[in-house]
Amino acid sequence: MPSQPDLVTFTVDGKEAQVPAGTLLIEAVKAAGVHIPHFCYHPRMKPVGMCRMCLVQVEGPRGMMLGTSCTMPVTEGMVVHTDTDTVAKAQEGVLEFLLLNHPLDCPVCDRGGECPLQDQTMAAGPGESRFVEEKRHYPKPIPISDLVLLDRERCILCARCTRFSDEISGDPLIEFKDRGNATQVNTFPDEPFASYFSGNTVQICPVGALTATPYRFRARPWDLEAVESTCPHCSVGCRISVQASRNEALRFLGVDNGPVNQGWLCDKGRFGFEFLNSGDRLDTPLVRDEDGDLVEASWAEALDRAAAGLSAAAAEGPGRLAGLGGARSTNEEAYAFGRFVRETLGSNHLDAQLGDGLDPRVLAGITPRAAIDDLERARTVLVWAPDLKEELPVLYLRVRRAATELGANLVVVHPRATGLDPVATHTLRYRPGAGTEMLRRLADGSGDLAAVRAALDEGPVVAIIGRPGLGDDPRLAEAVMAFAAGLPDAAVLPVTRRSNVYGAADMGLAPTLLPGRVANDAPGRDAAGILEGLASGDLGGLVLLGSDPATDYVEPQQAAAALDAAGFTVAIDLFLTPSAAKADVVLPALGFAETEGTVTNLEGRVQKVNRLLPGPGSARPAHEILEDLARRMGGSIGAASAEALAAEIAGTAPAYAGITWEALSWGAGREGIVAPGPEGSQPLAVAPEDHAPPPAARDLVLHQARVLYDRGTLTQAGPSLAKLAKEPAAYVHPEDATRFGIKAGAAVRLTGSGGSAELPVVLDPSLVAGTVYVPLHLGAALGAGLEISMEAVT
Amino acid sequence: MTWSRATETRAAAILARYPEKRSAVMPLLYLAMAEEGGDLTEDGMRRVAELTGLSAAQVQAVASFYTMYKRDGVGRYLVSVCTSISCMLCGGDEVLDAVADETGVPDGETGEDGLFSVEHVECIGACGGAPAVQVNYELVEGVTPEQARSLCRWLAEQRPETVVGDDLQERFGGQRSFDWGPEEAEGATGPVPAFGPLGTTGERS
Ligand code: SF4
Ligand code: SF4
Ligand code: FES
Ligand code: FES
Repeated sequence: MPSQPDLVTFTVDGKEAQVPAGTLLIEAVKAAGVHIPHFCYHPRMKPVGMCRMCLVQVEGPRGMMLGTSCTMPVTEGMVVHTDTDTVAKAQEGVLEFLLLNHPLDCPVCDRGGECPLQDQTMAAGPGESRFVEEKRHYPKPIPISDLVLLDRERCILCARCTRFSDEISGDPLIEFKDRGNATQVNTFPDEPFASYFSGNTVQICPVGALTATPYRFRARPWDLEAVESTCPHCSVGCRISVQASRNEALRFLGVDNGPVNQGWLCDKGRFGFEFLNSGDRLDTPLVRDEDGDLVEASWAEALDRAAAGLSAAAAEGPGRLAGLGGARSTNEEAYAFGRFVRETLGSNHLDAQLGDGLDPRVLAGITPRAAIDDLERARTVLVWAPDLKEELPVLYLRVRRAATELGANLVVVHPRATGLDPVATHTLRYRPGAGTEMLRRLADGSGDLAAVRAALDEGPVVAIIGRPGLGDDPRLAEAVMAFAAGLPDAAVLPVTRRSNVYGAADMGLAPTLLPGRVANDAPGRDAAGILEGLASGDLGGLVLLGSDPATDYVEPQQAAAALDAAGFTVAIDLFLTPSAAKADVVLPALGFAETEGTVTNLEGRVQKVNRLLPGPGSARPAHEILEDLARRMGGSIGAASAEALAAEIAGTAPAYAGITWEALSWGAGREGIVAPGPEGSQPLAVAPEDHAPPPAARDLVLHQARVLYDRGTLTQAGPSLAKLAKEPAAYVHPEDATRFGIKAGAAVRLTGSGGSAELPVVLDPSLVAGTVYVPLHLGAALGAGLEISMEAVT
Repeated sequence: MTWSRATETRAAAILARYPEKRSAVMPLLYLAMAEEGGDLTEDGMRRVAELTGLSAAQVQAVASFYTMYKRDGVGRYLVSVCTSISCMLCGGDEVLDAVADETGVPDGETGEDGLFSVEHVECIGACGGAPAVQVNYELVEGVTPEQARSLCRWLAEQRPETVVGDDLQERFGGQRSFDWGPEEAEGATGPVPAFGPLGTTGERS
């Protein structure tokens, strides 16, 4: 436990207050209810004292001294004045100066109405300017990336954006240029601001200099309605504000949730609202007609058809039906889905993951789990997981902060270079399949790994562990967790990406689990087993809840074949995905921001998601659809409302006791509540030797991992993100390229367990020779097998 | 991209002098300029970024602050006329006008034939001999507008391979602030003699 910092007492405007020693004055005065206007200061970044707006007077031995409160730490007995004539005059002067070159754009500026410069000029500025000369002019705006535009005239040179990209996100692609009379923010020519976090600069720019294309000229702030919610794009669960006008989502803004996102969002989260407004959203039920085409139908007709088909399959015997999905639903919907499959369909074949994640018992917190905020205190961080920058971007920011700001040792183990490598103390690379060997050597810690092992022995350790790529067996991750749990003062955070997959596991959407993190003694089939059963005829039907195995399953072609073979399929979804297109009945569901409920992030933190939009056409909440189906099949899952389900969860799932909507909506509950691990949670008892495939002695192995912008349905449904997905490529080690006679820029044909593709070659010396890396979901489907064959295409 | 082997060796020697690689950015920029014949190109800045671990935008941020990093090319003779206070009081502006008129190259530009670049500069430390002029960073003091004209004519006609300050002073100079130390006949084609041994001045060696 860090010791409590000493408190100091100081006086501001005659009021006494106490704050921890070292607090900056601009923060400290808040304790006395005083606000100091400012532009460049941002509580999550280092102060620079650039804008001079935060000037205050401090009493000193030589009288009253003007100083910037954002750079001055409070000291014992300090006497501060923020409301004197001198301070007012200083603020007026600073504003007059900042406005010399600032254009009168307010009526056409997106920031107008929520602009710190506008507000503070109204509050503290001079009535008029003495400046009669011509203002500075620039062509406006210039695009500095595919998403961000820059109006240089409006910039007040506060350096928030440049500091963010340097200090926080670590991709300083924007900087001041031509410093002096013509200082401006800009990129290097031909090197756009292509950061995964660029949208944060738009949010923190204190004027309208930086704007984002998806929102530019779309609304005025006072026309927006907003609710606080949780980002639906990955399992970090960043807090956001959903903002809409005329029932159309127009932007997501980051909300500062200290233990999770600290105000930041990744661009996929921030601009990933567009799918909600997509014209491709399902807005009416579809049923298959005699010719085999999906045609529009009424809800009554579609529900009747779905219930009849499912009942017929169920009548063939117990366990003939299965359910896949729920990892993108709310906990309430997931819970309803579990009850529907188990009670109405009478089946234990139920999985929220698609063979690409971790053992659901790990997700449901069978082991003691780290919280993201443990990174603030970690001495050492071990990341043996997916490339966090690509899959869990804001977790990457938190780890990066631990390694840079907070000085933790960072050890990254991965088959190739990751986004964290530039700030890592040690990076270890291995061939997929040889992870067990790597783990054995690491645990042993001899030879060249001695220094790494020594770092890992410095606690507290936070270990972030998952499957770096598809080629890594989930049991390897468990073995790594078992190893990491034994490190000094260690806490383990098991990571996988899909947004509410942890909540789905907690709600029992797994063959081995019942709701509330309870083991299921009669486990059913998992995703692989379900798809096999459908293909072989052992299973007669399937219900999909927001799940697209034909795209997302590790062997997409196998999944597609299984869906073709399935006797009867009902798909509940937002889009007509490739899987839904194969269903017999398609039921349109309401999605994010259209339903209310809770979600659970990767640390087990339960947060609220809220409703703001009506959703398209006659789409309905998933739990209502499931209840209607259950009733038609002669039962009920008691899903009268999402709130009733929430109450039932709180009653059924011990870990969720007390985590009510009410508790999550106010005060500290808005940060979310971490559901405690189950009673007597057992550590994983896996030794590295126990579970793991033998290291591959094969010629070439395939490493496949996700990238942030892929061809997934939700990404492609929004125009801003859709265009950011790259073309697929094969990343080949230079030695292998020589061995196979391949030149960079040439093409190769790769053949894997589930398909074959011709791809351009990129040389990647960060791989271990003998490994080929192919990004997932960019269009090359090779299957999940480790072995791959490669030949040069001429 | 990489530079010539000789330049890369010099870059490595410069980098080795600093505990933090990024601290070497300024001498490396001179090296980049020397490598490309006096012009700091985008490729040059990119290479400096690679060597220092900075982003190209960060290198550009440094390079664009200093006027002595020439990003728009520079002529064979760079004529810099001081217009800071001492020189201004003693007629620096008139000298600048004379140079611009005689060469046909306006302040801040390079002539089409690439012979002259003309610029005004802030104090070059020769206030005692104001007004002062530099040709390729070699100093001449006490220059009248007429002498400046003959200086330019002489450069255009003689096209000297190297320009040497003492020589210029003798031909075109007036009052000198003080003796500039031992005579050296090499001349400078770059702005930082201190890094001469490391090649940043662009001398052919
Ligand atoms: S663009 Fe905005 S954030 Fe960046 S320096 Fe200018 S005013 Fe500040
Ligand atoms: S890191 Fe994940 S939760 Fe956070 S904004 Fe990005 S996609 Fe959303
Ligand atoms: S907020 Fe203190 S100087 Fe800008
Ligand atoms: S003012 Fe011209 S040299 Fe100093």
